[in-house]
Amino acid sequence: MNGAELVIKLLEMRGVEHIFGYPGGAIMPIYDALYQSKVKHYLCRHEQGGAFSAIGYARSSGKVGVCMATSGPGATNLITSLADALLDSVPLVAITGQVSQAVMGTDAFQEVDVLGLSLAVTKHSFMVKDVTELEHTLNEAFELAMSGRPGPVLVDIPKDVQLAEVQFKPRLVEDTETSQPEFLPAAALEQARLLIQNAKRPIAYIGGGVHMADAVAELHGFLAQSQMPSVTTLKAMGTVPPSNPYYLGMLGMHGTQAANLAVQQCDLLICLGARFDDRVTGKLAAFAPDAKVIHIDIDPAELHKLRRAECAMIGDLRQLLPAMSVPTHCQDWLKHCVSMKQQHGWRYDHPGERIFAPLMLKQLSERMPDNAVVCCDVGQHQMWVAQHMSFSHPRNHLSSGGLGTMGFGLPAAIGAQLARPKDTVLAVSGDGSFMMNVQELGTIKRFRLPVKIVIVDNQRLGMVKQWQELFFNERYSETDLSDNPDFVSLAAAFAIPGHSISRKDEVLPALEAMFTWPGPYLLHVRIDETDNVWPLVPPGAANQDMLTEKAQ
Amino acid sequence: MNHVLTIQTKNQPVVLERLLQVTRYRGFEVAGMEMKPLADFSGLLVTLSIVSDKPISLLTNQLNKLYDIEYLDCVESEQTQAKAGSMRA
Ligand SMILES: Cc1ncc(C[n+]2csc(CCOP(=O)(O)OP(=O)(O)O)c2C)c(N)n1
Ligand SMILES: [Mg+2]
Repeated sequence: MNGAELVIKLLEMRGVEHIFGYPGGAIMPIYDALYQSKVKHYLCRHEQGGAFSAIGYARSSGKVGVCMATSGPGATNLITSLADALLDSVPLVAITGQVSQAVMGTDAFQEVDVLGLSLAVTKHSFMVKDVTELEHTLNEAFELAMSGRPGPVLVDIPKDVQLAEVQFKPRLVEDTETSQPEFLPAAALEQARLLIQNAKRPIAYIGGGVHMADAVAELHGFLAQSQMPSVTTLKAMGTVPPSNPYYLGMLGMHGTQAANLAVQQCDLLICLGARFDDRVTGKLAAFAPDAKVIHIDIDPAELHKLRRAECAMIGDLRQLLPAMSVPTHCQDWLKHCVSMKQQHGWRYDHPGERIFAPLMLKQLSERMPDNAVVCCDVGQHQMWVAQHMSFSHPRNHLSSGGLGTMGFGLPAAIGAQLARPKDTVLAVSGDGSFMMNVQELGTIKRFRLPVKIVIVDNQRLGMVKQWQELFFNERYSETDLSDNPDFVSLAAAFAIPGHSISRKDEVLPALEAMFTWPGPYLLHVRIDETDNVWPLVPPGAANQDMLTEKAQ
Repeated sequence: MNHVLTIQTKNQPVVLERLLQVTRYRGFEVAGMEMKPLADFSGLLVTLSIVSDKPISLLTNQLNKLYDIEYLDCVESEQTQAKAGSMRA
């Protein structure tokens, strides 16, 4: 067998069923080996889309996503998605073809220094220089992508390595490390328990690390035992069931007032698998100013990076959370948090006939089947989804958090639909974001994927426009999209039926029609360009200084 | 504060770029660098002199995560401090 065949063999042996990619000269041997293999390849229409599909696949299933591209332009098209996976800690393996080593370094046709490019956007990257290293390298790439803090790993394979003959003796998959019971940091745990027991106003600040550690059940146990309020990041939405009375919602720039105020008032902040991102903290020096901090993460580099923790632990939340579960004594604080939650509840009594996106999304959320996956794009509609839709698990809400990448939603939905064929998958996009990977409608058409696309159309780059309105003297520079194509006709060109609505009374029948249609569907929802996302913590402000609609 | 990092790496051609990329990106300045292969050529021994006002752990924690790095030791350095001081003067 040759190196290319070995690549596919190894994917098969690892149980990789679905991969996403786009062929080209330097990766042709691998595409040849793929022909009639057990690994099912999904041809995307742009490598960025393919890699986002792999991310959607990974995030909705908890498995590693795999994507492939050719050298040069194929590989450079992956870069944005790799960065997205890095900032959101998504396990991804990207395989790129490279020109033959004989011409490498000569500016050969479609040669780009992909290894060099990858440094800033991957957890690690490999170049395979000899076919005898291929097996080890590829296996290592999968291990690395999943282990510790997950992330994207790139494997660049020159064409001559793909074509080189190699002996392959299938080995029993070696269990390199028999997983030893983890050493628990006894002293730190004792300190954490004391901090929790003595806290008057504790709160759990929950990040994506909790579900990535598979510690959702342990978290529920911890919250039940300790009875403390909780808030989540964008990535962790769905980790705490919305029915939990002490769950206050998302914190940060567009978080709920209750979440932000409670965090600002707390005396103990328990940060679980989160990283004090600036969209979460607002003005860092004024974030949770009276709080002691317990910080637990799998990545040692996150501890004390932005905020010093009184008690910092590196480790597996599945083991640490039960060991920290002690009762708290904070009835007054709980009451206070619940009353803030009630006082600052969302209002949906928007006047007039026009569709109010928050209400429409709430209705969508209430009507979507259990366990539906919602893949979001980036902008105002993304924040409205996080605010007004409910999720029973973080794998059901895929949103580009750390990188905030427009164009994420549609291809991510493709990956999610393939990972979870029995579940309904929705792509909620904006009129700007949708156009960034609109070519992936071709992928939906080809594979007849029953993705439901909801476009929240304000004819604007709404989030940027909102900032122009608030912070740039209403100088609306380059944010008008009123000449976008007719989205329903566009979908029709890909054999995807659709419908356009602009009045409140059309919403429920339109949702009904979309959900009863068996295949892919596009619902075009026109909203007013003047609608903005509230509340909002202005840049540089502390989180208690939220702007609200009324204050405007 | 000035620090000297002694780093042993795997034998990977890209490893120097990785070290320097992380150091620059995380906002630390390289004041000196030495590199030589290990006696058996199985890797490199790199000495980096770093100048920064930030806690050095912000850098060493990131470098320690690099797959190609086998070993990292960090000492505070009077000498580089004196040197840097005299350079500034
Ligand atoms: C690739 C990319 N380019 C630019 C931006 C900056 N940006 C953030 S939100 C936004 C507007 C998004 O418009 P749309 O998708 O219509 O969403 P809306 O805010 O109108 O709901 C822009 C341009 C980005 N996040 N990603
Ligand atoms: Mg828009």
